[in-house]
Amino acid sequence: MRTNIREWSLLASAVVLLVSPCVCRAQITEYQQHQWLRMESHIGNLTGHARAAEMDYRRYCVGCHGELGDGNGENAPWVDPKPRDFELAIFKCRSTPTGTLPTDEDLFNSIARGLDRSNMPQWSTFTKQMRADLVAWVKHFSPRWQTEKPGTPIQIPPEPEVTADRIKDGQAVFQKVECWKCHGVTGKANGPSAATLTDDQNRPISAYDFTEGARPKCGDTDQDLYRIFMTGLDGTPMPSFADNIKPDEAWDLVFYLRTLEPQKSKEKEIAKQLGLKPVAPSTAPAAAPPQ
Amino acid sequence: MKARYKVAGMTSVLLSLAFCLLWSTGSVSAAAEGKITGTVKLDGAAPHMKGIDMSKDPYCVKQHENSPAHLENVIVGPGGGLQNVVLYISDGLSGAEASQVPSQEPVFDQKNCMYTPHVLAMNVNQKFKVNTSDQTTHNIHPLPNALAGNIPWNKSQPPGAPPIETSWKTEEVAIPVKCNIHPWMHGYFVVVKGPYATTDEKGSYTIANLPPGSFTVTAWHEEYGTQTQKVTVAAGKAGTADFTFKAK
Amino acid sequence: MTSARKRLAGGLLLASIFFFGSVNDAQAIPAFARKYGLRCSACHEAWPMLNYFGQKFKDNGYQLMNDRDSPIWQNPSYWPATFRITPQWHRDSSDKVAVDQAAAGQRQITSTGFDLSGLDFHTGGTLEKNISFYVLPSSNPSGSFHFETVMGRLDNLFGSPWLNLKFGKFELDNLVSEKRILTLTSISGVYETYHFIPVGDGNIFGRIGDTQLGVEWMGHSLNDRTRVSAALLSSNDGNVMLSNGANSYSGFFAASQAFDAGKLGVQRIGAYAMIGQAPTTYFTQGGGVTVLNGAIGNKSFHREGFVGLFYLGKLDFQVVTQHGWDNAWFGAGYGQGPPFNNGPGVTLPPGSRAPTWNGYLVETHYVYSPQLIFIQRSEWERMSRQALPTNPSNLGNIDMYTFGYRYYPIMTSRAGFAWHNEYSWVRQQGMAPDGFALTNSSLLLGFDFDF
Repeated sequence: MRTNIREWSLLASAVVLLVSPCVCRAQITEYQQHQWLRMESHIGNLTGHARAAEMDYRRYCVGCHGELGDGNGENAPWVDPKPRDFELAIFKCRSTPTGTLPTDEDLFNSIARGLDRSNMPQWSTFTKQMRADLVAWVKHFSPRWQTEKPGTPIQIPPEPEVTADRIKDGQAVFQKVECWKCHGVTGKANGPSAATLTDDQNRPISAYDFTEGARPKCGDTDQDLYRIFMTGLDGTPMPSFADNIKPDEAWDLVFYLRTLEPQKSKEKEIAKQLGLKPVAPSTAPAAAPPQ
Repeated sequence: MKARYKVAGMTSVLLSLAFCLLWSTGSVSAAAEGKITGTVKLDGAAPHMKGIDMSKDPYCVKQHENSPAHLENVIVGPGGGLQNVVLYISDGLSGAEASQVPSQEPVFDQKNCMYTPHVLAMNVNQKFKVNTSDQTTHNIHPLPNALAGNIPWNKSQPPGAPPIETSWKTEEVAIPVKCNIHPWMHGYFVVVKGPYATTDEKGSYTIANLPPGSFTVTAWHEEYGTQTQKVTVAAGKAGTADFTFKAK
Repeated sequence: MTSARKRLAGGLLLASIFFFGSVNDAQAIPAFARKYGLRCSACHEAWPMLNYFGQKFKDNGYQLMNDRDSPIWQNPSYWPATFRITPQWHRDSSDKVAVDQAAAGQRQITSTGFDLSGLDFHTGGTLEKNISFYVLPSSNPSGSFHFETVMGRLDNLFGSPWLNLKFGKFELDNLVSEKRILTLTSISGVYETYHFIPVGDGNIFGRIGDTQLGVEWMGHSLNDRTRVSAALLSSNDGNVMLSNGANSYSGFFAASQAFDAGKLGVQRIGAYAMIGQAPTTYFTQGGGVTVLNGAIGNKSFHREGFVGLFYLGKLDFQVVTQHGWDNAWFGAGYGQGPPFNNGPGVTLPPGSRAPTWNGYLVETHYVYSPQLIFIQRSEWERMSRQALPTNPSNLGNIDMYTFGYRYYPIMTSRAGFAWHNEYSWVRQQGMAPDGFALTNSSLLLGFDFDF
């Protein structure tokens, strides 16, 4: 009888030992669930609920972004650029200033737009509700959404008419703030600093090549271009120019950037008429553009 | 070496204790007038700091025509004094004392395509400025740990741009800061609570504005990590804490 | 209709069902999953059936449209190849089979055993941005191969998603595609509705389910909510070497529109039609031997249907209704050559008419998770007009039911592996040796995997 009891107690303790780590993990998850799974997203009239997106995340997202949302999915080692780490909640495509959380709408748009030249497809077949739910799910991974508020979206003034002067002024801005250091004087992503660029995790990253004709990472409208350089692409070397480029100059720069693209556009036509030459990489900055 | 340093530390502690006893009767309330001074030294040969190839940017090259630029990870002065060590009180301050924020704004300058200073210490919520003295565009890209409370950001500063004034929300030792355009540009923000100091080219420092009490002083260096010492400060008097980092 | 003819036609029908059922060409491509790092579930509601995202990927010419689709961006060792096979155990039963040993001349036959499906060897992908290919040699269980799919594609011509061309042998633009069927038994491996031919009918050309030879234009909106296509096909049911005579063509047209229904998901409705003609007269030589490529006497046929994909959260319904019409000559057994060969002096049997019928298909899926799916399908084929007035009005009617589940113990972006378990039952009126209903059933357990 005694041996029996001893055996049973051994067995019981073994079971307890085996089970205890699972129990602990379960408790943490449960705690997190209580705290974070109530996450909601609000896009216009839509309300997204994190819980509703769990299966969709498993179906579409988990391979790259991982079960924990840390960007360490099974396929992450073979993906470049690397999948976003939702825990850090640092996102490229925002309407908000650098160093702030994006709005729900920013994430909502990124899901459908995808990120060109990365493995993030355009999930435009999803319903709006699915996307809203997924936004809430993405947010539930990071404690930052519990303590921080998204930044205030930058103001984009109405787009002015394209003129030859504006394109010339835009080129002066391109020269002044030295976009060419990375993007190259012709926009070919071959500036002197292009080869050594690294992202926040010190992984090599390339600058955007305007001459390739590919969609810019965060959208292809003039407003999207404006937003890209005014907010910066957080997590990458692309800084925010909000402190250095005035709204009016920003539109000039947008028009000039269009002249670097291979696609036909009004801007490209005007540049051709002007006989616009690429900027010269100079040691001293150009004189401030006449305003 | 370690034993000797310990003895030195003990002696200094005993000495300061003795001073404390001697002067305590005479002193009236001398809150926040105490200080800790000392020297931080590097034991061993200073590692070679490589020269920097700035050929990417002719402006930067020009600024260093007469004084070639070197990396600044380890700067050792005459007598082995280690520069750019940040010393701060990691234990012993009351909550109120620790949350006092100086009104003075330290400046982090981009000069000759280098960071001046290479390491900038500051308090939580203390305003500081990022300035550019250069005629070339920089981008300031601090990389704190977003999950610990400070959020990375990345701003461009072309020539003549006004300084960026900002602050950090929580303690963090240390926040790397880099310029993606000039990949050699690399520095640190050290964000602490309470009085702090950074060693000068001789390796000496003074942490001022301390109330009387016993404190733990932590010394942080970007290559050699941290060391701590317990120091007691008598009212209005200086405690001493010397540190020695061992060269790798 | 003589009982010999009836038996011949029934035999053909059964044979075709068994053949296609065992081949089960599915276009599930771990090669694509490996290329893009997406799990099977990203493109397939349950592999190999596409979801809306997978449909968009396919409609874009096997491209995510992220400017990294061209193979030049792939690791040089990447090879877009996939094979699929399903080792299985099955039990097939037929309640009335003509046998010499039975006193009544017929008896029930049931057999069980371990078996294999055919092997599908898929290669497909982009050759360059907006230029893609697909080649699928497929074998039957004994290893004899045919080309199930061979095509080249040009997509987004002039930068427009409305201009996409396929050329070769390809899957028709069906929303509910037999090439992506989730059911695997000898009975459920094809859609009865797509393959139905009236008893004694000689037209093998109007099959919506098979891959066909031809050229297809397809256009879609950027988010794939609106889709239209038109294909010109050789009337030969995908058989190569113009074996069913040259100069006869069919057209296949499809259009569909999807709607965003909020929490429920995306709903899609569409319509399709196949209109074509095929020969009924084959030139012969040396006493009845068909001359290759030589056939005339085109007669027409058409099929038209409605299709709906309805989603209610985890539950979804696929509904197809199809109307079929064959020229009276087909109805009388002409179309496949001798012994039913149209020609001088040949007349239709008295009173023969163009046969018409309607088919109904309802398939239901309950997707518990991306790794566990429950499947049900019911199909009903109903003759509305027999070719010969003497035929019983229900001759050839089919009732088919199947249910099962697929469970993926693991799901990664590298390979697919499913445990499949399914039971099917079918009853065909007037097809038994005694002239009454014939009932077959099939139970299948298998590993369905691809790499």
